[in-house]
Amino acid sequence: MSLEILLIIAFGGALLTYLLGKTSEKIRDFLAVVISLSLVAFVACLYSKSLEKTFYFGFFGLGLVLRLNMFSWLFAITIAVVGALSIIFSLSYIRAREKTDFYFLMMLLVNAAMLGIVLAGDLVSFYIFWEIMSWSAFLLISYNRGPALAAGMKYIIMSIIGSVSFLVGMLSLYVSFGTLNITQIAPVITSASSGYILFILIAFSIAFGIKNAVLPFHTWLPDAHSEAPAPFSAVLSGILIKMGTYGFLLILYVIVGLKLFLSLGSGIFSFHSVLCFLGAVTIIIPTFIAMLQTDAKRLLAWSTVGQAGYIILAIAFGTNLALAGGIFHFFNHALFKALLFLAIGAVEFRTQTRDLDSLGGLAKKMPIVFIATLVGVCALIGVPLTSGFVSKWLIYKTLILEASPFLAFFALAGTWGTILYSYKLIHNVFLGQLPEKYKDIRKSPFSMQLPMIVLSLAILVFGILPGIPLKVINAIGISFGFESLNVTLWGIASETGTLNTINIFSAVVVAALLIWVLFRLSAKSVPVAQDDSYAAGAHTPVDKYNYTAEFYNPLYRMIKPFLRDVIDEFYYWIGSSMQTLSDRVRRVYAGDVGYYVMYIILFLAFLIFVQLKWKPW
Amino acid sequence: MVAKVMQIILSPVLALVVGVFFLGLARKIMARIHWRYGPPLVQPVIDMIRLFYQKSVSHGSVFDLGLILSLAGSIVVVLFLPFGQMCPLSNSGGLLVILYIMLLAPLGLALSGGQGANPNISIGISRKLILSLGYEVPLLLVLLAVMTHYKTISIIEVVKIQQSTGWSIISFPLFLSGLSYFLILPAILGIRPFDISSALQEISSGPIVEYGGKYLALVTIEHAFALFISIALFVNLFLGGGANPLIFFAKMLVVFVLGLCINAVFPRFRIEQAIKYLWKWPTLLAFLGLIITLM
Repeated sequence: MSLEILLIIAFGGALLTYLLGKTSEKIRDFLAVVISLSLVAFVACLYSKSLEKTFYFGFFGLGLVLRLNMFSWLFAITIAVVGALSIIFSLSYIRAREKTDFYFLMMLLVNAAMLGIVLAGDLVSFYIFWEIMSWSAFLLISYNRGPALAAGMKYIIMSIIGSVSFLVGMLSLYVSFGTLNITQIAPVITSASSGYILFILIAFSIAFGIKNAVLPFHTWLPDAHSEAPAPFSAVLSGILIKMGTYGFLLILYVIVGLKLFLSLGSGIFSFHSVLCFLGAVTIIIPTFIAMLQTDAKRLLAWSTVGQAGYIILAIAFGTNLALAGGIFHFFNHALFKALLFLAIGAVEFRTQTRDLDSLGGLAKKMPIVFIATLVGVCALIGVPLTSGFVSKWLIYKTLILEASPFLAFFALAGTWGTILYSYKLIHNVFLGQLPEKYKDIRKSPFSMQLPMIVLSLAILVFGILPGIPLKVINAIGISFGFESLNVTLWGIASETGTLNTINIFSAVVVAALLIWVLFRLSAKSVPVAQDDSYAAGAHTPVDKYNYTAEFYNPLYRMIKPFLRDVIDEFYYWIGSSMQTLSDRVRRVYAGDVGYYVMYIILFLAFLIFVQLKWKPW
Repeated sequence: MVAKVMQIILSPVLALVVGVFFLGLARKIMARIHWRYGPPLVQPVIDMIRLFYQKSVSHGSVFDLGLILSLAGSIVVVLFLPFGQMCPLSNSGGLLVILYIMLLAPLGLALSGGQGANPNISIGISRKLILSLGYEVPLLLVLLAVMTHYKTISIIEVVKIQQSTGWSIISFPLFLSGLSYFLILPAILGIRPFDISSALQEISSGPIVEYGGKYLALVTIEHAFALFISIALFVNLFLGGGANPLIFFAKMLVVFVLGLCINAVFPRFRIEQAIKYLWKWPTLLAFLGLIITLM
């Protein structure tokens, strides 16, 4: 079992799927599912193995290396699982559309490239896979045409800026140390000056910050997530932007190292606290913007920006609890945000809309999708018994105990904002009155339900038994040079506040059962139709009679003036002024030979003037 | 072990008795302030027993289960709160867990109400969520000040330290935080100036408009628990808990009656006014408290 075979299956499988898709759709669907599932199995078999292998020497004398350890394994398994589930979801979602072969090719290619990124052992192969991922993601974002084209363009422009920044950092590392192998750079970088390390960190932070949508590099994300096809939104939000998280962990903890990273600068001007602050701002502002969205996917997209803020904050904070919380939150976010995007995709598949103002009452029509959304939303908020609670608990706890209550305040207040937009999502889509036109809506197909069921179960299992992922995460923390955490199957034991999820779980279950018994014993209730409701004597209209539009209107009026996306406007301003500038420059090329002769003469005159005046030559 | 099980059974029962007593007392005191005679103290108990035997309507399974979840959430919070020497489960996660399990109750009610498909409910829930965002800002600052000051996230530790060094409401930096908590207490309880989400005359009691019979009984019990929890939290964090449950309940009674008297005479805020108030004075005080704690 070696890593090249894994990548050959991933990339070769993608091409094979495309070619076979030309002959039969059934074979193509089957092959796509088989390949993505075999990747899951393959990665799962590699658990707790540590491999490193140079597979190609010819790249300007640099070896291209693949390596695997606990750190890359966790990311690889997340990618494989979310990727496979979104492929399964795609089967019926994409069936009636055009260019489905191309769609499956790109979906598999993105997954393969992301696996390549986390398995890359040197920066050159990292960069190659990174570019394959960026470009195939661009093609998928633009798949729907129309506004999706503009969204894709915005994404790829920002992505290219990130790549250039990455390239600058990478070349500089090569010039200084003569190697790009990650394990070889790590020991020698300690000898570099702190100014140089800061430069490297900033260069890579721009690259990874754009992918991870840290403020002020977040502007591509809401458009891209809402315009992409739903299964790809799940991949995009669940794992693709987490390649930025992976990059941050790689550069901060593997290459630069914990001690060096924490010692850069001093006080609030250190790199570490600036990054923490950016993380905190990334939590709070997008959360408030998310509350005001009326497009379900756009709401989730802004929520993704906010949740990515938690991860960045935790990673940058640099304690063992924070790192565990950050990595665990990455893992959870991959599960619950993929789940939510798939659920909204399933709703959109049946209703052809994701407008939060016009949907409603779908809980009775699509019960599985409703329960899945509920689980996803609970994990997003961090309700106890879902895995989101454990990761957030770890983050808050370390922020409080390390005396950073303001960062903790941002994190906690962000959670309350999360409750508001989560409830809006679930209320406006699934609760309230069912509009007349959705009366005969059918359940979603099984291939859509299956991924949602799997993800919901995973969230609940890891919420009640968080020890399973925490064991892996603890091993990662130890390899980064942190103290080990005292992880048990159902939580974390320590002298300063123990978490015991089993206690919480059993208490809730027992209490709910007791109340349920009381509920059944007392007088029976009569089921009534949805329009049979108390209106204080007023007349009830026949069709939609519910309050969903502008759900948080009073709040909206209060905070709207503060929530302009200034950064996006600024980028557009740069874009339009660049366009004006280029337009002016273009006029120089008038197309008339006389002008060019004039330019030459003027330039010569200038040179002669310089020579006469200062005699430099 | 037996003592532990006894505590687990006993503490929700005690909390329920105290909470229901407070509900009755509130009606009596309000009536006296308004120069009325008021119903007897046991009126809520009589109502509840009657309600369990009455017919009711249901709008679907989420409508039922949401309510059950909400009440279960409240009971579990009580298990995590120490009162007196009783603290059955409070060593499995501390204040952060309490803060989070307190979510289950409003979330369950909101889900259940949402299924009710009545615009009054939706408006009420929307208001309730906005209001909770309003009071959570100062509340979080207050809790963070307490946790930072005592350098722990365990609520038992906070109570223990206070029993040796004195109540935190009279210690200097936390005095500000305590005052801020007291100022937002009516908003947390949803009583008079902040009864925006359950405004009887505007939106027919908001989230509970579709409830009747046992639903109304359960939601009243939930309300009693909520009342108990937010006052008990105040007593634990700022008034040094209690050496035994009796002292604890006496302290709670004082806080409750004080809050009631101040707020019985105010008219209702509009939602924007409430947010403006909550984000002005209580937040400022809580913020100052936190800053001074940090220095």
